[in-house]
Order: sequence, then structure tokens, then C-alpha cells
Amino acid sequence: MRRLVRGALAHTTRLIGTALAVALAVTLVSGTFILTDTIDGAFHKASADTAESSDLVIRSTALFAAQGTSLPEREPVPESLVSQIAAIPGVKAVWTAIQGYAELVDKQGNAIAPKGLPTVGGSWAPSDSLVAGKAPSPGEVAIDIDTARQYGLQLGDKIKVLFSGDSQEFTIGGLLRKAGDVIASTKAIFDAATAQKVLGAAGQVDAIPVQAEAGTSPQALRSRINAVLPARYEAVTSAQVAKEAAESWTKAVGFLPTALMLFAAVALLVGAFIICNTFSILVSQRARELALLQALGAGRAQLIGSVLFEAVAVGLVGSAAGVLLGAGAARGLLVAFHHLGFELPGPAAAFHLRTAVVSVAVGVVVTVLAAFPAALRATRVAPIGGLGALDGSAGRGSARRRLVVGLATTGAGLALVLDGVLGGPGRAVVVVAVGAAALLVGLAALIPLVARPAARMIGAPLVRVFGQPAFLGRENAMRSPRRTASTAAALMIGIGLIGVVSVLAASMKASATQTVDDSLRADFVLTSTGVAGAAGGVPPAVVDRLSHTPAVARVSQILGGQWGQDGRTQTLLAVDPAAVTTMHQVDPASEAAVRRLDDAGVLVRDTTAERYGWKVGDKVPMTFARTGTRQMRLEGTFASNAVRTDYIISLGAYAANYAQQLALEVDVTLAPGLAPADGRAAITAALADYPVVKIMDHTEVVRAQEQQVDRLLVPVTALLALSVAIALLGIANTIALSIHERTRELGLLRAIGMARKQLRSMIRSEAAIIACLGASLGVGIALFFGWALVSSMRHVGVTELVFPYTQLLGLAALATAAGMVAGMLPARRAASLAVLDAISSDK
Amino acid sequence: MAMMMRSRSAALAVADIDVDSTSVPTYPHLVRPVPAARAAHAVKVYGSGETAVRALDGVDLEFARGGFTAIMGPSGSGKSTLLHCLAGLDTLTSGTIHIGDTALGTLRERQLTRLRRDRIGFIFQAFNLLPTLTAAENITLPLALAGRRPDQGWYDKVVDVVGLRDRLNHRPSELSGGQQQRVAAARALVSQPEIIFADEPTGNLDSKAGGELLAFMRRAVDAFDQTIVMVTHDPVAASYADRIVFLADGRVVDEMLDPTAERAIDHMKLLGE
Repeated sequence: MRRLVRGALAHTTRLIGTALAVALAVTLVSGTFILTDTIDGAFHKASADTAESSDLVIRSTALFAAQGTSLPEREPVPESLVSQIAAIPGVKAVWTAIQGYAELVDKQGNAIAPKGLPTVGGSWAPSDSLVAGKAPSPGEVAIDIDTARQYGLQLGDKIKVLFSGDSQEFTIGGLLRKAGDVIASTKAIFDAATAQKVLGAAGQVDAIPVQAEAGTSPQALRSRINAVLPARYEAVTSAQVAKEAAESWTKAVGFLPTALMLFAAVALLVGAFIICNTFSILVSQRARELALLQALGAGRAQLIGSVLFEAVAVGLVGSAAGVLLGAGAARGLLVAFHHLGFELPGPAAAFHLRTAVVSVAVGVVVTVLAAFPAALRATRVAPIGGLGALDGSAGRGSARRRLVVGLATTGAGLALVLDGVLGGPGRAVVVVAVGAAALLVGLAALIPLVARPAARMIGAPLVRVFGQPAFLGRENAMRSPRRTASTAAALMIGIGLIGVVSVLAASMKASATQTVDDSLRADFVLTSTGVAGAAGGVPPAVVDRLSHTPAVARVSQILGGQWGQDGRTQTLLAVDPAAVTTMHQVDPASEAAVRRLDDAGVLVRDTTAERYGWKVGDKVPMTFARTGTRQMRLEGTFASNAVRTDYIISLGAYAANYAQQLALEVDVTLAPGLAPADGRAAITAALADYPVVKIMDHTEVVRAQEQQVDRLLVPVTALLALSVAIALLGIANTIALSIHERTRELGLLRAIGMARKQLRSMIRSEAAIIACLGASLGVGIALFFGWALVSSMRHVGVTELVFPYTQLLGLAALATAAGMVAGMLPARRAASLAVLDAISSDK
Repeated sequence: MAMMMRSRSAALAVADIDVDSTSVPTYPHLVRPVPAARAAHAVKVYGSGETAVRALDGVDLEFARGGFTAIMGPSGSGKSTLLHCLAGLDTLTSGTIHIGDTALGTLRERQLTRLRRDRIGFIFQAFNLLPTLTAAENITLPLALAGRRPDQGWYDKVVDVVGLRDRLNHRPSELSGGQQQRVAAARALVSQPEIIFADEPTGNLDSKAGGELLAFMRRAVDAFDQTIVMVTHDPVAASYADRIVFLADGRVVDEMLDPTAERAIDHMKLLGE
């Protein structure tokens, strides 16, 4: 066995490329773990910090916990409870907590919402700690030290603060130490009375924190308090509140680890192609040695073992490097977060032992699995001189089997994907994903059958331009179709997925434009400059102000919220039934339904209603965080794809069931005959003290949506680029290994007069042809999957299918050029071979 | 027929053979024609210090145009090293090599490559052909690398002489060993080089195939006035040459004109092989 091991170790240098491919793939795995753990830890720490000062919190009960929001989604608690609680024995201290929308305005009059993250306003809590100044008294505000420093604000400065109602001016009375708060990048803290006035409602608070006397356990005190609380209120431990908050946030970003792991899976799949290829080449290069070993009596298991040992070694080394790279990448991302104003408290990067163990295990398992076919082939070498059988040009029988299996797999995958696309919504995503994977694998199996003619075709223009060296390179790319194919397949996957993303992006942008062109009837759309949703939005006062502006004919607002349906989180939009269809044109049936909508009703997307078997007039149970489960009457259904939710309620119903009232968007039509520029000027003037509001005309709405698409798709493309990098590494690796095999051939070429330059050109051509093959197939796949994906997204508003041909061609050209660059390293090495050594080499 | 028309002018120019093997053969003519290749005081040392090996130890040789020279010698006599140095595949430690008027020592790597491509032909013992190319493509490879088209008349003549007309579209794996070597010979010839170097060209062939290849090489010299230098340890192969140069321990120890296999065998015995 030791001999076998030594034989394996002799190839160390040839395995560096493979180890690097494993490392890059594992980087994503470990990086995802580290990032997830870090964010998780940050949420827990942040929540724990917030809850530190109190032992218990009294709040109203909620049947549904909204995700990823910092603003109260519960019914307020009557302030009168405070005196009642204070009288309970064992209570040391009790105060009130109020939170709400409060955005600071800097000296230039711009809203302080650094990098688009929301601001939180709240009431003073004993746990708040000051760097300078004192706890705010009426007329004063305490702001966090970071914001103060960044915007040059000092104690005693006057500062304007925006609320849901009218804005007000305060004096900065204190500077807060930045507590570990993930959520808000800026903080505005007021005294309890002021907070109640500007953030909440008279006589009501969001929660009542309680501190227990020494010697009284929080649990005991909790039962004592719960015994006297009215039915709709509850006392819970602060630890419980912290836990709930952390869980809510973790859930809100729960898609992130899953998404990242998906990219890691893609990278691993691409890596597997490279590994599979490398080991298959190594086994064929070792054919003579393996044949000798077999002749000397090495058993099947020993031969397989000798190959797999190599795989385990490569997997271990690569994965270990990948774990380190992942730690570095996660750290880099955290630094990027920092620059985006998204500060994570707690340790810089959470590195758990699990991260290392799982990452290395994944890396090793994938490597061994990918090397297994090669290991099996190692045992099929005929004991004496079985060289020919292993050179990658498989026999006719194998080609037929490949054709049958490949076609069957491709067909099955195609059927699943088409069923998913044409079968309409409701098809299991998993089935479509399995179909897509089967399609990819099936295609990969078929590529060797077309690799030869494809390479001939692709190489033709190269040969015309670069002459004989390119001709020889093309012949080399054609000589081992299976090798060329699996190298190209790896690139195909990466380029294919990037292509799908760009088809999706182009389609989403076109759909946005189309929707705006077709249905937007409002002259201007107003949104918050901050991130819509969590805590940003257009304050209700804006609507009020605009409806009193002569230049404005009509105002309509749309709000968004979450609700619970059997434990699942759903979204809804709230609209003004009388006005919304004048701003957003929908089909006549939908419009009629909207006009019927009252404060006890709900509109449901037709397909969704069908799925649940709901008819008009049925009761739809909807659970709201503030008010519990309400039976909403189904007033009608809508079909419009422009609506980005399945449920619509009225503004009245929203006001009754939701605490925060910030609008996602406010639509405005101008008074008849008013020029757009004048209208904009009038609106801008009317909202001069609301710098948080962004005014957009149609073009700007389209541009904003395009930017939103880019924000989502650029990181996705970047993550897929890693897979492409692995595939390019694979090209370099395959060629380097092939060159090793062809040493004598290169020597001969040099001897009979091939210049170094020509030799390099030959090898670069081979690389470019393989890359171009992979990229072309990738673009083909992108067209198909792009069509499939966009077709299946019709009901979420992606109505246009656009193929960005220029972009896809550019992508393919870029990949081909990158492939040529990848071939440069082995080319240089080949060119530096000493002619005489090469001729007399035994390879 | 061509066998009968041996063109011996160059070989006959060597009027006398000096018994002292280290001296340059003398020419009686007043105007000496420039030989196709020559080595002067050629020394090649591998390694250094105690372990240094003098593969070539002061070789002086000329190869006249239109001559077919065989270089023989026991293993380690330096015959392959000499061939490699003559062909510009290896460099001398001291001394000079000329191909025609060109001193190889003064050439840069790029010029050497071009010289090999345009002015030298090669036939190696094995692995002469690119497996991905057809016989025809292999034959014209040096011309293609030079970006030149083959002279169609000459190409046809060469192909016919080697007898490969019906195998031109086959790949090397579809050709016998003898056919492969003949393709290599055709390739060496098609660019009309000044000199062809052959390194044990029949080493891997059976006697029939070897005979055919040697006959072809002989014809190239006789009919086309080609110059060939061949390293071999096979006296039968050497007997096809006009002249045999015997090497031992890096020195030229003897020469033989109009050799026969028997005389070559005897000579080799003297050299201790």
C-alpha cells in the first residue's frame, strides 16, 4: 500500500490545479457558514443588549410575529397599567417603552438615512448609556455618537426630526453610546412624554419594561403580574423578547444562507467536473503503471484505493485551503457591510468548529465521488499494455450507451422543466430544479458526441486568422472529445447560469418598463429615500399635505404589510379603493373588484383563490400581529400581474389592523393642464420639510426599478462568477495535463521548426476553443432556462421575455478570451520545454 | 534505376583519407565547394568537475552536398550528441558547427528554430508524426509552420517516390511503422532542405520496412541530390551510405567509403562493439 501511496504522491504538482478548484468551491461553503453565524450572533447580541436593563416586558399579545421589522407590530398597551404594575410586590422599577418612525435631518436639510438604512426613534430607557450630555428632557433629543460625528452634530445643536406626523425641531441634549443595534443605523431617543407624543398615541405605550427587586426571580414576578393583567396583555421575560427578536431577524434573512449554499452547490458541481476530468486523465496517464501493478498482483480494491487515496489527499488539502479562503472572504464581506453602514456588533467573524468540519467533509466527499469513476476505470486496465483503451476515445459501444443515457436524462429533465413552466404556478420548485439538474447532467453526457464537430466549427475562424498553430490547437481540442467535453461542460454551467440571470434581469427590467407604460396613470410616484418596508416609508402627513396642494388633483397611497396564514407569513397591499385604479390601470374585472372593496373585505389573486377554493363572499382568515385573526370577506379576485402580492385590503382595514402607517408609495395626479415641471416644482415646494420623500416621474420609476433589479442580480452574478473561475481553472488544468502527455509531440514540433510563439499560440487556441464551446453551450442553456424561468414568473409580474443578445454574446466572447488567458500559463510552460529533453521524453 | 545513377561527385571529391582521424580531410581542388554541414573542433561536455563527461572530444567533420553519410559507433560514442549538435537541437561546449555558411553558435533561439524549419529535415527513430494530423498534413507541416504552400510538382514527386499516394488521408495510427517512417522521410524532403538528419530511422522497423525506407533515402540522394546524415548502429543500414564515419569516445576514429555491410561489421568489431 505504501508503494501505491508513493506512486500517487508523485503527481502532486499535477494536482495543484484540482486542489485549487476544490478550494474555491469550498470557500463558498465555509464563507456561508461564517457569514451566517456572524449575522446570527450579531442579532442575538443586539437583541440581548436591548433587553439587558429589564427583567420582564409587558406587552399586548400577538398571534403572529412579523419578520424583519424594527417597528412595533402589536397593539399598544394602556399607560394606566404602569401604576398598577408598580404596586405589585417585587417590582423594583417600571417604565414605558415607545418606538416609532423618527428620521433625523442634517444641516443641509437632507434626511439622515445612511446608505438607505432606516432610523429608529424611541423613548429613553435606563439601559441607554451616554457618551456626553444627559438623558433627554422635553424639547431635547439624544442621538447616537456615530451619526453625530459623521454629520458634525454637537450637543446643543438644533436638529429637525421627521415623524409620521409633523416634523419638529429639537436640541441635541445627549450623545448615546452606540449599542449593538443591527437594525437602525441612526437613533433618536426622547423622554417618555415626548416620545409618546411624536411616536405613539396619548395614553398608550408600546411596552412596559419591568425590573425585579433583588431576590425576586423574573419567572415568579412574571406569574404574579400575569395574574393581574387584563386578558389581551402578557408579561414575558426580557430574555424571551430578545430571543423572539433575534429569531425574527434570522428568519427575515433566512433566505441568505440557503441562497449562498445554492451557489456553493453550483461551484461544487463545476468543481466536480474538473476533479472528475483530472483524475480520469491521471489514470490514463498512469495506465502503464497500473497495468504493471495489476500484473504484479495488486487487487481491484488496492488499485481503486490508490486513486481514491489521491482524491482524499486533494480533497483535504483543497478543503482546508477553502476554509481559510472562506474565512477571508467572509471577513471581506463584513468589511463591505461596514462600509455600507450595516454594522455588526459582536465578534468580527464567528468561526465555529462546525464550519471547518462540515466544509472539509463536503470538499472531501465531493472530490472522492468525482474521482470514483476514474478509480473504477483504473481497475479495467488490461494487465499488459492496456494503454489504448484509456486514452479517452471510447469505443463505439460506449458511445451508443452514452447517447442513450444522455438522451434519456436530457429528455426527463426537459419534461420536468417544461411541465413546471407550462403547468402554471403551484408546481413544486424542487421538481423543476431536479429537472434542470437532470437536463444539465444529460447535456454534459451528450457533449462528447458533438465535441468534435463543434470544435471544428468553432475553431474554423481561429484557423483562418492564426493559421497553422490554431489548426494544430483545434486538432488537439478534437482529439479527446470526452476530455474537451467535460472541461467545456464545467464552463457551460457557470456561463449558463450567469446567462439565465442576465435574461431574467433584462426581462424584469423590460417588464417594469412595460408595466409603467401600460398601467401607470399617476403623474408622479412618491417613495421614501430609505429602504421601503422595515421602517422607512412615506409618512401619512405627506398625503395630507398633498391633498391640500392646489397643483395636485388626486392622491392615493399604497401600504404594505405582513400577516399570518396558518403560521406562514404572507404579504398584502393596502389601497384606496376609490383612487388606486385611477393611478394604476388594471383590467376591467379587477378594477370592478377593487371598487367593491370595503374595510371588512379582501381581494385575492384569482389563481390563489382557486387554489384554496375560495369563492366571492367566503371568509378568509387573516392573522394580524396587532389585532389577531380577522375573518375578511372575499370581495373579488384580480388577475393583474402588475400587482406584486396575492392579497389586497383597503386603507381602512389596514389602519384598523396595523400599527405603523408609512406608505410604500404615494401616487399623485396633477391638476388638469399643469405642466409636469410645474407640478414637480409644486410638490417639491409642498414637501420641502420632508426630505425623506423622493419624487419620481415615469422615467424615474422605471430607472428605480431597474436599479432594484441590478441590486439583486449583480451579487448573484458575482457569486456565479466564482463558478466560472473554477471552470477556467479547469481549462488551464486539463491543458496542462494534456501537455504533460504530449511532451514528445511538442519536442517534435519544436525540432521541425515550430517557433515558441507558434507553440504558445497553438495551446492558447486549444484553450480558446474549449472555452468557446463551453460558453456557447452555456448561452444556449441560458436561452432555454431563461425562457423557462421567465415564463414561470409571469404571475409575479415578469411579463416580458427579453433575450439580451448583445450581452450574452459579450459574455461568451469574454469567457472565450478568459479561456485563452487560462491557457497562457500551460502555454508558457510548454514553450519553455527544452527541445531535446522533450523529444527524448518517454511521454 | 535510380540506384544505378549514384551521384558521387561530392563524395569522390574526398581524394585521400588521412589515417590520423583527428585531422580534417584534405581537398585537392583549388576551389573548395562549401559543404552542406561541418563541425570544427566540436567539444560537448556534460556535467562539470569530477563527473564531467566529454561526449564530443574535438570532432572535425565535413558533409559534402549530395552525400549520404552514416555515423556509426558504440553506445556512448557521442554519435547522437553529434547529430543533435549538427542539427541545432543542442549546443556545443566549444568549437563550431556550420550549416552551409551559417555558424550555429551565433544564432539566437528564434533563428535556430527557423533554420531547422527551412534548411534542415529530420527523421527520428520513433514518434515522428503528429497523431492528430493526416499523412498529407504531417508531410507539409514544416511548410505550413513557415506559412508556405508546398511546390505541388515536388510534393507529388516525393509522395510518389515514397509510395504513399493512397495513404495520404490516413492518420498515423492507421499506418504501419514503415509507412509512418516513410511519411517522416517525405516530410523531411518536401521542404527541400539543405541537409537531412536521420537518427536511427530504421531502429523500430523490421528488415523489410527498414530496407524500403533506406532505399528511399538512397534514391533521395541519387535522384534529388539530397544530403543525408544518418546515425545508426545497424551495419546493413549504414551500407546504404556513401561513407561511414566511425565515432568512439567522442572522437572520429575512422572513415569508410563505399561501405558494405560486411566491412562495416568488421570495423565495428574492431571498435569493440
